[in-house]
Amino acid sequence: MITRKLSLAAAVVTATALTLTACGGGETPSADLSTINVMAPFLEAQPPTPDGAVQQKLEELTGKDVNITWTPNASYEDKMNITLASSEIPHVLVVQSKSPGFVKNAEAGAFWDLTDKLDEYPNLKTTFPEVQNNASVNGKVYGIFRARGPMRAAVMFRQDWLDKLGLKAPETTEDLYNVAKAFTEQDPDGNGQDDTWGITIPKWGALGSNSPYDIIEEWYGAGNRWTEKDGKLIPSFETEEFLEANRFVKKMLDEKLINPDFATFDGTKWNEPFFNGKGGIIVDVDSRVSVLINLFKQANPNDFENKVGFVGNLKGPDGELNAHPTDGYSGFLAIPKTSVRTEAELKTVLEFLNTMNGKEVATLFNNGIEGVNFAVEDGKAATIKPETPEGKVVNTDIKSYAQLGTNVTGNNFYPVKQASDYEQKVFDKRVEVMAEDLKSAVYNPAAAFVSPTYVAKGAQLDNIVADARIKYLAGQIDEQGLKDAIKLWKTSGGDKVQEEINKLWQDSK
Amino acid sequence: MSQLTDALASNIGAGDGAGTESGQGKAKKPAKPPKVPRGKFSIHLAHYKWLYLLLLPGVLYFAVFRYAPMYGVSIAFKDYVPFLGVNASPWVGFQQFQDFFANPDFGRLLGNTLILAFLSLGIAFPLTIVLALLLNEVRLSILKRTVQTLVYIPHFLSWTIVASLSFLLFALDFGPLFLFINNVLGTDIDFLSDPAWFRPLIVLQDIWKNTGWGTIIFLAALATVDQDQYEAAIIDGAGRFRRVWHITLPGIRSTIIVMLILAIGQMLNTGFEQIYLMTNALNRGVAEVFDTYVYFVGITQGAYSYSTAVGLFKSLVGIVLIFGTNALAKRFNQSGLF
Repeated sequence: MITRKLSLAAAVVTATALTLTACGGGETPSADLSTINVMAPFLEAQPPTPDGAVQQKLEELTGKDVNITWTPNASYEDKMNITLASSEIPHVLVVQSKSPGFVKNAEAGAFWDLTDKLDEYPNLKTTFPEVQNNASVNGKVYGIFRARGPMRAAVMFRQDWLDKLGLKAPETTEDLYNVAKAFTEQDPDGNGQDDTWGITIPKWGALGSNSPYDIIEEWYGAGNRWTEKDGKLIPSFETEEFLEANRFVKKMLDEKLINPDFATFDGTKWNEPFFNGKGGIIVDVDSRVSVLINLFKQANPNDFENKVGFVGNLKGPDGELNAHPTDGYSGFLAIPKTSVRTEAELKTVLEFLNTMNGKEVATLFNNGIEGVNFAVEDGKAATIKPETPEGKVVNTDIKSYAQLGTNVTGNNFYPVKQASDYEQKVFDKRVEVMAEDLKSAVYNPAAAFVSPTYVAKGAQLDNIVADARIKYLAGQIDEQGLKDAIKLWKTSGGDKVQEEINKLWQDSK
Repeated sequence: MSQLTDALASNIGAGDGAGTESGQGKAKKPAKPPKVPRGKFSIHLAHYKWLYLLLLPGVLYFAVFRYAPMYGVSIAFKDYVPFLGVNASPWVGFQQFQDFFANPDFGRLLGNTLILAFLSLGIAFPLTIVLALLLNEVRLSILKRTVQTLVYIPHFLSWTIVASLSFLLFALDFGPLFLFINNVLGTDIDFLSDPAWFRPLIVLQDIWKNTGWGTIIFLAALATVDQDQYEAAIIDGAGRFRRVWHITLPGIRSTIIVMLILAIGQMLNTGFEQIYLMTNALNRGVAEVFDTYVYFVGITQGAYSYSTAVGLFKSLVGIVLIFGTNALAKRFNQSGLF
């Protein structure tokens, strides 16, 4: 008896509590677009100062109150999904990739389809239509892509070691093997001990993550995620070249030319063995060259030149150069329909974004404020030294604001003047080498296609092959085991993915 | 940690219940407080208003933070799209569960989870009791306190730190433990990536971090064992082990059973952080458990409905385990948890 009444009391209390929580939500943001709400990730230790000089200048240039919600990069995707489910949706949302979560939301109608709308805006009408297509969902453009240099793959090596051993910079994968072998066996640091290795590889193993494996496979001619064979698209790991490339990596591993803890080595420590004189080669994006040079410069400002050498993409065993490009973008700025409800509002937001991608704001985001943190010297932006307190804030803040830059019409800002003649020389060479490699780039033919099966379980599927690749290299399974894993990929749903991708590919022709 | 708070909460709850009962016992006497009229709820409420007021914060807590969020569980039966919201997402019934059970990963996940759970239950749980018994036998107070504090400390380190320590100690070619063990045994084992060493490492970390903390409740129970029985046993000529076996262990039997039931209820919570941090491409085959799978599929792939279904399945198994152990405990003539 008493228990029944108790439970009744509990039910009443619960119901009240539920009503209370339900009342907590609500409050739709007003449709007044004098304020533009933006959600963006930040990769620095701290988000920018909300009333800092960059923010003020941005509001001055765009004529809007810009309210940016800076969200830590590591949890950005979660926060984005939670935000979309909430009632406080920003007008402009940085979407980092065509993740399954994004695709689902987009197909449910969460974002404006901008395919036919961007051409009216001079700063949004892209000069790289193929990249815009890569960033689309089966041809539908849901956002303004954030352009990134498509050609970034490079081989970095200890120039001082190379000179000491009297070797030449590698041009082919065969040369890479020889240099790695010499770095391992010929005591390049001259300390009389067998304590060096050739290439350092971190634990990045996911497919299509521009990891050293992906890059070497592409050099071998396996293609870039997908490749055309007999009039059909097949995943690059189904090619013979994929197996050949991994045999090559395995050979280097077996001969201890690669760090043995490659499956567990933390990617954030990638520079350490290079700098400390343990592992002499890194295969990664070319911007790491500057990072490495800076490490040596900080350690010894008087002797940092000629420590870091680099070349671009390497020729494969068949003598052909298959350079590894990225898809040319890093996410995009999308406009949610729930916050921007009418075509008129959309126009306002697009005009705002048009200003954001103009020369003035692009300069602000990438160079900073002239006279505060940089000065223009021979058409280049030179950092003002010594750094003033104001300049320091601007220098730190723009690293985050650059996340909002799209540069879909090319770089409308000053190239950065490097700190010394040597660094300027290296920088210019990087630009030159990458431009040359771009001519031999082999793109992912399926970048624009989103297959429903892949959305549902692509990451699990890809893990099958990615893990098998590492297991094969570590010697846990043999080549047959790797082939079996590829078969498992096909039977677990990969066949369907392939079918869907091919259909989308045929339709797009 | 949550086990402990649950246990404490249930103890406190039990105390409250006892208080109410004794109150009622008094009420039955014809003397001071008049007999509670049982007919009207409002009168009943008025009579016990202070007790109900005491109850209110607890009920509110459970209602707001434990029951209200359960509304979200409904997405396990839907194809949830954040943009559409919980209500508007299409209803798919048991589709997510079917997909999960038909998935080739299912058997592997269940196996990995159960093996880790039983290892932790079979090794870490008895060790806690053994450590508590050992501490209890230490007569030198200062030594006992020092050791106690020392074994508690690891509990306050986060898993991130424990994992980093392990990475340093077992680092390939230069970790001190890597070098020591491999030199002594003459082997060449990479503990961090060898799948055969994943489970031992996890259990070792678990023991190192949590055993000391787990002794607290047993030590409290040990303090309540009747000292006269020990004296009697000494006079009868019982040695230390006899005393432990015949007096101490039976004395804390009910605590052991309560803790065991709680541990079994938590069994499938293999600890996301610990396992996630120790997983890599080479050991994923044995490392992936329900918790990490839910994160991988749900958070990184945005399959919220699917991963909710997986989580819900895990909770159901947990409930079955709790009731099962409780029934078993009762059957063997022990007091269960409820």
